[in-house]
Amino acid sequence: MRGRGLTVALGIALALAGLAAEATAQAPARLTVQSQTEPPGLDMTATPATATSGIVFYNVQESLVKVDRHGKLVPSLAERWHTADNRNYTFFLKRGVRFHNGREMKAADVKYCFERALNPETKHPYAKDYEAIGDIIVKDEYTVTFALKTVNANFLQNVARAGAAIYPREAVDTMKSHPVGTGPFRFEEWVRGDRVVLVRNPEYHVTGLPKLDRVTFRFVTDPNAVLAALKAGDVDASLFGLGPEHVQDLQKDPRFQVITGDTTNDVILSMNNSRKPYTDVRVRRAMTDGINKADVLKGAMFGMGKILGTNVDPLNPYYVDMSKAMPYDPARAKKLLAEAGYPNGFDTVLKVTPQYDYTVRSGQVIADSLKKVGVNVKIEQIEWGQWLSRVFREADYDLTIIGHAEAWDIKNYANPKYYFRYDSPKFQALFAKSEVTVDDKARREVYVEMQKVLVDEAPVVWLFMHPRLAVAKKGLNGLWKDLPASVNDLSEVSWAPAK
Amino acid sequence: MRRYVARRAAALVATLVFVSALVFVVVRVLPGDPAAIIMGTEGSPEATARLREAMGLNRPLPVQYVEWLAGALRGDLGRSIQYDLPVGSLIVTRLPVTLPLALLAAVFMVAAAVPLGIYAATHHRRAGDYAAMILSQVGISVPQFWSGLLLILFFSVQLGWVRAGGFDGWSSGPGPALRALLLPAVALGLFQAAVLVRATRSAVLDVLREDYVRTARAKGLSEGRVVGLHTFRNALIPVVTVAGIQLGQLMAGAIVLESVFALPGLGRLALGAIGARDLPVVQGVALFVASSIVFINFAVDLAYGWLDPRIRYE
Repeated sequence: MRGRGLTVALGIALALAGLAAEATAQAPARLTVQSQTEPPGLDMTATPATATSGIVFYNVQESLVKVDRHGKLVPSLAERWHTADNRNYTFFLKRGVRFHNGREMKAADVKYCFERALNPETKHPYAKDYEAIGDIIVKDEYTVTFALKTVNANFLQNVARAGAAIYPREAVDTMKSHPVGTGPFRFEEWVRGDRVVLVRNPEYHVTGLPKLDRVTFRFVTDPNAVLAALKAGDVDASLFGLGPEHVQDLQKDPRFQVITGDTTNDVILSMNNSRKPYTDVRVRRAMTDGINKADVLKGAMFGMGKILGTNVDPLNPYYVDMSKAMPYDPARAKKLLAEAGYPNGFDTVLKVTPQYDYTVRSGQVIADSLKKVGVNVKIEQIEWGQWLSRVFREADYDLTIIGHAEAWDIKNYANPKYYFRYDSPKFQALFAKSEVTVDDKARREVYVEMQKVLVDEAPVVWLFMHPRLAVAKKGLNGLWKDLPASVNDLSEVSWAPAK
Repeated sequence: MRRYVARRAAALVATLVFVSALVFVVVRVLPGDPAAIIMGTEGSPEATARLREAMGLNRPLPVQYVEWLAGALRGDLGRSIQYDLPVGSLIVTRLPVTLPLALLAAVFMVAAAVPLGIYAATHHRRAGDYAAMILSQVGISVPQFWSGLLLILFFSVQLGWVRAGGFDGWSSGPGPALRALLLPAVALGLFQAAVLVRATRSAVLDVLREDYVRTARAKGLSEGRVVGLHTFRNALIPVVTVAGIQLGQLMAGAIVLESVFALPGLGRLALGAIGARDLPVVQGVALFVASSIVFINFAVDLAYGWLDPRIRYE
């Protein structure tokens, strides 16, 4: 009897040991990431939403060229490219790259995707970026040439954007709910309102990647719920959505690592350049002089981030630190206002959207700062949907604050219809020049010149660069520190082996 | 009885038509263009205009309303702008979260409130009564999202007994699903329970003062029989009325708590749809919730006759 008991006990112990061994040997590497907003569909050729590209781009779908974690253009689906005249770009595709449906990616697919982007019927959100393309010539299965109508210095940058992702034509109709690409992860499911799940692509064209087996993007909107989910261990990382006030608390928690870095997100106070008194450059300059940006950064971001002086962000190769070009000078602001005919200041309305906390908080500091020079700012909080249609589309505003996350978005100042309503022939001419100047040194000079014009004409007040604030459990490696593109590249992310 | 039901059914249809028109107009009066929201800050005006046209938002309002209503009568609530799926199927996929949540909250509400209310009434102006009333006052005063967060902090973050949020569905069995719904159901039911305690207490108190209760006591019946048999059933009419209204409020209250607990339910569907100006979804959910409340009220009316045979429907 006793012997039998021992045998049973031994058997159980062995079975348990076996299970444990199996668990350590084959524990699947899973990652659950909190995502602030649910994407409005997963088709990057139908929506420019960062909630969509944040999941799909670099993870499920890729482009010929990629912006890497240092902001450099590196080969992705094209192993190299060549141009002799800056008008004809030839891309040599990587061989043996397979879409998630098993078919090999070839030059005809590249041609198809760009032609579809240019077709007005497809409602591609970035068609404008590719309108310089005149012809796409398939030289052979793995070689494709783009013949441009004009020199376009941003062409390679545009080929690296989410709008230039390569996908198989047979998946076009279902991409909104089931994206197919060549990326390190295959799409598995989208439980509406809850999560998107991606699984490892075993045939990924970069050996050794990805390192995770399964990635779940879980939609949690409320920052307090995000904090609780992190602390309870329900999610492993939050890549966007937590504010500086939450991050400070988590920095003290030994279970977490807080990743702060630079981004392309410029937070600006826009002035309606077509509306009085902001039609007068002296008033616009007075606004810059009258705002204490250091206080704004402290009040809105607890000092995290960088003060900006113009619209080129610190990750851009042509960044020049202009933050001290127009220092805080309330006396000069008063003088400029008096010259412009407002010796007693004026009343104005600032529209901010509580969807982005930093806009409300920055607004409060700015209102206080400007009061000292006689400008009475009334803060009006409006909901994001209203902001998009009233402020962004119709330019029905005096002042507003928002972060502009897109890289290389200095182009907006050359568009007089953009909601700044800034119409400067001088700047527009410089920008046009920058688009056709390919030589790096010469182009840099044009960019420096453009930034000087912006500081001089002060169409908006550049406040600060919104920092990257990501939180992850300790042991999660490979996340990007800086964000030179609005992506969440998880291909190189892995868990450190358990000690 | 038949005439009563027919009358109520007619009122029900009229209510729903009124609600549908109201919802339809309100979501369109709201500033904010669905196409602009989808395109965000990076979409060009031309691309936005093309999307607007494709979404059929340029047609006259009455045309859009009639088309929508005709579709709704056939059971077709339209297609979601955001998800590109039929609204009906979206609502159906969210019900396995919201319905059990509301039911669980209702069970909690009744199980906590009715005994406590009876206890308070039978211990009128004694320590137990005051304690119950203070408890109820606290329950009414604490906002739901706050009690939800406190529950998460204590049971998930500190004790680690349940998840802080999220819902994986019923496929992994009722155990994990119920565990995921437990905290939000308690948070949701807490406020309503606090209200129901007061309603139960005053209803029972009223009946306890009736002559027949004194008679029952004079007959020498035990206090348990007096309260359980003679008092409670007669006190049920106001209690059921309040509980019925609250059941509707539970569905509406789920909107806030589903966000706090990150549950993929009807409330979060509605909230997301309002933010994205996904008009067909907002209309569909509002119509669905309104119909549910109307049906609950209908059921409550019918329950009166069963509780009190003196009530006639003619």
